[in-house]
Amino acid sequence: MHKIILAGESSILIYFGSKIDNSLPKNIANFANELNTQFSDLIIDSIPSYTSLLVNYDLSKISYLEFSAEVQNLLENFKFSDSVQTYDLIHIPVNYSFETGLDLEKLLAEKDLSLDEFIDIHSSQEYLVHAIGFSPVFAFLGQVDKLIQAPRLATPRIKIPAGSVGIADSQTAVYPSESSGGWNIIGRTPLDLSLNNPESLNKFKVGDRVKFYPITHDEFSRYGE
Amino acid sequence: MSFKVIKPGFLSTIQDYGRLTHGAHGMNQSGVMDEHAYSWANYLLGNNFNDAVLEITFGNVELEALDDMVICVCGAELDFKVNTQAASNWRSIQIDKGDRLSWALPKHGIRAYLAVKGGFNTQVLFNSRSVNLRENIGSKLSELDILDCQSSCAQLEHFIAPQYIPNYNTDVILRLLPSYQYFEFSDAQRSLFFNQKYRIKNANDRTGCRLDGAPMTVKKEKMISEGMSYGSVEIATDGLPIILLKDAPTIGGYPKIGTVFSLDLAKLAQKQPNAAVKFKLMDIHQAQKERLRFNQFFEIALNS
Repeated sequence: MHKIILAGESSILIYFGSKIDNSLPKNIANFANELNTQFSDLIIDSIPSYTSLLVNYDLSKISYLEFSAEVQNLLENFKFSDSVQTYDLIHIPVNYSFETGLDLEKLLAEKDLSLDEFIDIHSSQEYLVHAIGFSPVFAFLGQVDKLIQAPRLATPRIKIPAGSVGIADSQTAVYPSESSGGWNIIGRTPLDLSLNNPESLNKFKVGDRVKFYPITHDEFSRYGE
Repeated sequence: MSFKVIKPGFLSTIQDYGRLTHGAHGMNQSGVMDEHAYSWANYLLGNNFNDAVLEITFGNVELEALDDMVICVCGAELDFKVNTQAASNWRSIQIDKGDRLSWALPKHGIRAYLAVKGGFNTQVLFNSRSVNLRENIGSKLSELDILDCQSSCAQLEHFIAPQYIPNYNTDVILRLLPSYQYFEFSDAQRSLFFNQKYRIKNANDRTGCRLDGAPMTVKKEKMISEGMSYGSVEIATDGLPIILLKDAPTIGGYPKIGTVFSLDLAKLAQKQPNAAVKFKLMDIHQAQKERLRFNQFFEIALNS
């Protein structure tokens, strides 16, 4: 089931499956923890994503063949779970409005939904953190209900405000800091997820669950007071 | 000990070995683009392998020394002068308070590294002093900045024997490890890839080096995003390669035909736009052997 391939002179990539699957993120995160515990002196960094784990190791201490064999051995003895398990449940307040959700009006028209219906669909569900990337603290969350899925914009925006919540196909995410990007923006969180906030870096990890809850414009403005 | 910035240049940033342990947080590694010149600069001063230096891209920089210091410049020849006198790369130099250090325009190579004995003393953020412009971690030099460094004392002059100084004008052959989706590319795609000279489109970009040439025919759909290692070569939907460098995102969804050996990326970091590059296959054992020798010589200890 799993497969190890070469990724660079001091890195390997481990595949745990070939399709996106809700049981994978926690298994991959658990395996990464196990690997880090067993080989803390050899491992420099590891990057989980959807179906895989990239591992950078110290070639001064172990060769590619030796390290791959160690990982292979650990994979064979590792207890994978088929059920969907997760770590923490993280609650994120979102103001869904035409002011903060730059694409919301367009989406409501396309999907033939009222604002309340849209909010209910996006916020009633728990999402799973499948990967973190694109930029720091940017967590890819799945799966968005088919009723509100929308493809990336043909022309990405140059500037999206920090905290913007977006949808791209079956995924949703919060832009932690101001950046460019092509996701459909449906609202904004008042949480500071940027690197200016020292707690942001550990806000999400692969395998966490995330639930959004709606807040009013007033609550958004007064958040944190 | 410090310098005052008189002219900040086109792109000058403080860099060290990089932010190697935050990939799981989506943070790219940053760090020097030319590990070879950087390592020599610290070595010649007896510094730690990870001490922070000033990476000067293309030149147009002038600094005033506010104290007596020992420095070393390695890498590109950017018409380096101390006051009005031409000065040498690849050797430690004693400079005096009030001296003006300047770099004008590229003659050979494009990136020069200014190291000071003990290293620059800018703020450590997320375990590194490397500036990351994409994520607003630190900033590039600007006029009148004061650059602090560790106290510096006189030392014997150290220099490299001339035969070890790289020639940045030769064509670069990038040795490629057959990693990631290498075996999923067809013979026709690989043959086109290895048998042509590509040209560098954007040499000053720390995120990735885009290459121009005859595009290969590719499938249009993207893959499931996966972790990308330093030097991995994506083939984008236009069929042309992008070599992922120090400021590249941590994960991505384009197929990758292989990974360039890091010490060849150091050579790439000195090439001008429009320079020609070719790829050639390399075996993982050879790559590890060469890199291990490099790490041992420069006492690079990544996980200590």
